[in-house]
Amino acid sequence: MNRNRMKKFFAVSLTLLMVLAMLAACSRGNTDGQNADAGDSANTSESSESTDTGAASANQGVEELTLFINHSWYPVKEFKGPIADKITEKTGVKLKVTVATDDKQLPLMIASGDLPDLIFTATDFDRLANSNISYPWNELIEKYAPDFEIDKTRIAINTMEDGNFYTIRNAFATTEEWEANKYALGNDGNPGIAVREDIMNELGNPPLKTLADFENILGMVKEKYPDMVPLIMDKNWLEQYFITQFGMEAGIGSWYENEGKVNYWLKHPKALDFFKFMNSLHRNGYILAENFAHANDQIDDEYAVGGKAFAHSHTVSIAERNNISAKQNGAAYTFKMIPTKLSDDAIKVSTGVGWSGSFITKKNKNPEKSIKLLQFLASDEGKKLTMFGVEGEHWTWNEEGYPNLKYSPADSDFINGNGIKWWFLYSDAIVEGLWGYVPGTQTTQALIETKEITTYKPELGMIQVRADSQERSIKTKIDEMVTNEKVKIYLAKSEEEAAQLFENMLKNADKIGLQKLEDWANQTYAEKKSLFN
Amino acid sequence: MNLETTVSKTLTARGQTFFWKRFKKQWPLHVFVGLGMVFLLIFAYTPMFGIIMAFKDYTIVTGIQGIFTSNWVGLKYFDEFVNDYRFIEIVRNTLALSFLKLIFTFPAPILFAILLNEVKNMAFKRLVQTVSYLPHFISWVVVVGIAFSFFSTDIGIVNNLMVKLGIIDKPLDILIGANYFWGLAVGSAVWKEMGWWTIIFLASIAGINPALYEAAQIDGAGRLSRILNITFPGIKGTIVVVLILAIGSIIGGGIGGSNFDQAYLLGNDINNSTSEIVQTYAFKVGLADGRFSYAAAIDLIQSVISVILIFSSNYIAKRVSGSSLF
Repeated sequence: MNRNRMKKFFAVSLTLLMVLAMLAACSRGNTDGQNADAGDSANTSESSESTDTGAASANQGVEELTLFINHSWYPVKEFKGPIADKITEKTGVKLKVTVATDDKQLPLMIASGDLPDLIFTATDFDRLANSNISYPWNELIEKYAPDFEIDKTRIAINTMEDGNFYTIRNAFATTEEWEANKYALGNDGNPGIAVREDIMNELGNPPLKTLADFENILGMVKEKYPDMVPLIMDKNWLEQYFITQFGMEAGIGSWYENEGKVNYWLKHPKALDFFKFMNSLHRNGYILAENFAHANDQIDDEYAVGGKAFAHSHTVSIAERNNISAKQNGAAYTFKMIPTKLSDDAIKVSTGVGWSGSFITKKNKNPEKSIKLLQFLASDEGKKLTMFGVEGEHWTWNEEGYPNLKYSPADSDFINGNGIKWWFLYSDAIVEGLWGYVPGTQTTQALIETKEITTYKPELGMIQVRADSQERSIKTKIDEMVTNEKVKIYLAKSEEEAAQLFENMLKNADKIGLQKLEDWANQTYAEKKSLFN
Repeated sequence: MNLETTVSKTLTARGQTFFWKRFKKQWPLHVFVGLGMVFLLIFAYTPMFGIIMAFKDYTIVTGIQGIFTSNWVGLKYFDEFVNDYRFIEIVRNTLALSFLKLIFTFPAPILFAILLNEVKNMAFKRLVQTVSYLPHFISWVVVVGIAFSFFSTDIGIVNNLMVKLGIIDKPLDILIGANYFWGLAVGSAVWKEMGWWTIIFLASIAGINPALYEAAQIDGAGRLSRILNITFPGIKGTIVVVLILAIGSIIGGGIGGSNFDQAYLLGNDINNSTSEIVQTYAFKVGLADGRFSYAAAIDLIQSVISVILIFSSNYIAKRVSGSSLF
C-alpha cells in the first residue's frame, strides 16, 4: 500500500513537472511575441524603451541594434575594429550582427515576422519595401533627420510604387558621377583571370592578345604540365569573363537592349558561340567538370594558391589576392592578370542601379538613431571612414583626388580584420571606386581596362520582377532551368550536342513563358527609362 | 419489458461505475496519454490549417492572418506544378530514390540483425553493433563531407586507390555524375541507418523463446533452418510494422533518412537531372522564393501519395500476413 502511494506520488509530481515545463515554454513564446509587438507600435514604445535604457546606461548612451546581413559569404561577422568603434563614437550605435546562413533565411524571417532592427540585403527588396515591414526612409528623414539630403536620381530609382523609398542601394553612381571622377574605376565585382607568371615564362611568354591565344596557352599548359588544371574557376565567376569577350551585353539572367527593344540574355546573337566556346574548354580538357559542382568558393583558391592550377578565373583583384596567399604559404610563384580585353567585341554594359541596401524594420528599437546612423554613413566623412578607414591612420587624401592608402586593398586579412569597407550600409560606387584606385597595381590596371570597355545603362537595371508576381515566378523558373541546363551544355560530348542542348534550353524557356516575360520587360523598360532623362 | 429496462439500466450503471473505477485506478496513465495527445494536437494537427494556403493566393507579407484573408484560387498551384516542364523528371527522381532506398535500406538491417544474432563472441558482437549504429547520429552534412573525402576525383581515397591498383584508368565522378547519384544516395543511406534499425530487430529476436531453438537443435535443425523457421517467423510482426512505417514515410526517405537532406546536399548542377526531387524543387522555386502557396500545394500532393501508400500497405499486410499497424 505504502509503495503504491509512493508510486502515485511520483507519477503525480512527474506529471506536474511536465505540465509546468510545457506551460513555461508556451509562456516564454508569448512574452517574446508581446515584446516584438510592443516594438512594432509606436505608442507602446515605453515598454521596449524601459529595457533599452537599462542597456544604454550601461554603455553610456550607446544603442545596440541588431543587423541581419543577407550575404552568406560576408567576410565580417562582428561589429568590431577601429572603423566600427569610430562609427559607434560618431553615432552612438553599436551593431549586433547576424550573417545569413543561406539565401532562404530572409524570406522565412519575413514570413514569421521575426525581424531584426536593420537588414542589409541585395535581394527581397520588394518584400521588405512594404510599409507593414519597414519604415519608409522619407518618413523617418522628415521626422528625425530633415538635413539628410539624397540626390534625385537615387531617390527615383529606389522609390517603390507606393511613392516611398525604403532604402538606397550602395555601389551606384550616375553616369555623370562616373565621368566626373576619373579615378573612380569600379569595384571588385568585375571579372578577371590571373595566370601563373613563372609558367608563362617557361612557356616562353607566348602572345596573349586574343581569346584564341589564351586557348592556345591553356593547351600548352595541358601538354607540358599534365598534372595541372589549366583553368580553375570560382563558383561565382565561372563565365562572366568570357561573356564579356563575346560581346554579349548582358550577363547570366539579365537583360540587354538592342534598338530600343529589350531581350533576355539567352536571345543574344552571340549566346550560342559563347556556349560552344565554354563547351570546347571542357572538351579540350582545360577545365574540370567538378568545377561546376564546387560546394564553396574556397576550393578554386586552394587549386590556384596550392600550385595545382595555371589560370584562375575570379575578379579583377585575383592576381594580387593569390600573390598574398601564395606568399603566406611560402610558395615561390606569382600570378599576373591577363588583359581584360581579349577580343574586339569585348564590351561591358553596366546596368547597375546599386547593389545592397539597408532597411529599417518596423521592429526597430530606435528608428531615430537608425536613420541618423545611415545619415552619418551617407556623409562624406562616413563614406570615407567606412571605405578607406580612419583618416591619418589608414589613409591620407591625395590632392589629385584619390586616397593614398597605407595598406593594400587586396590584403583581405587586413581589411576584414579592421572591418574596412564592409560597413558600407550606405555608400556609393564613386567612393568604392576611389578605394580601388591604387596607382601601379594589377587590380587598378584591370579596372582601368574594364572602364574603357564599359558603357552605362542603369535603365536596364530597373527591369526587376516584383515579388509574388507572375513574372517573378516565370523568371525564377527560367533562371533555375538555365542554371541546370547550362552545365549540361558546357559538359556536352560534342559541339553538335552542345548546340542541340542550347536549342532545347531555348525551347524550355519559351515553354515556361519567356515571351510573356519579355513583353513585360519591354513595357517596364519603356516606363522606367524616363527616370533617367 | 419492465424487467428488461431495469436490467439494462443496472448494467449501464454497472458499466459506468466499472468505467470510473478503472479510470480512477489508471488516472496517472491517462494523464500521460492526454499530454501526448495535447502535444499532437498543438504541434501536428493545428498547423495543418496551413494547408488551406495551397488553394489560396497567399503572400508572406500578409503574415498569419493572410492565410485566411487571401483570395481563393482553387487548384491553380496544383495545375502549375503538374504542367511544369520538369514535372515528370522530378516525380521520376522522387519515386526512384524513394523505392530504391526502401528496397535496400529495409532488408539490410534485418539481415544484419540475423547475422549479428549468430555471432557467438559477445565482445565482437557488441563492438560491431556499436560501430554500425554510430553513423545514425552523424548529420547528413557531415556524411556528405565524409563522402567527399572518400569519393572526390581529386582527393578521394576510393578513387585514388582504384586508380593506383589499376582497376580504373581515370577517377570516377561519383559525387557529380548523374548516373551515380542514386547509388550514392542509397549506399550512404544504408551505411548511415542500417545499424540503427538493427537494434529494433535484435530486440525482437531477443524476445523469441530460446526453448524453440533448443528443441530445433535436438531435432537436428541446422543454422539456416533455425533462422528460416524460428528467427524469421519470430520477428515477422516487427518486420511488418517497420515496413508499413517505412512505406508510409517512403517519399520523405523512409527509414533510410531524409530524402531532402540527401538530394539537397549531394545534389549539384551536374547531377541535377537525377538528384532534383519534389522536395528540393519545392524548396528552390517555392519556399526560397517566398511562394508558400506553391510549395504547400506541391507538399500536399506528396502527403496525399504518402497517405495512400500507408493505407494500402497496411491493407496488404493485413491480408498477406495477418499483422498490421491498425
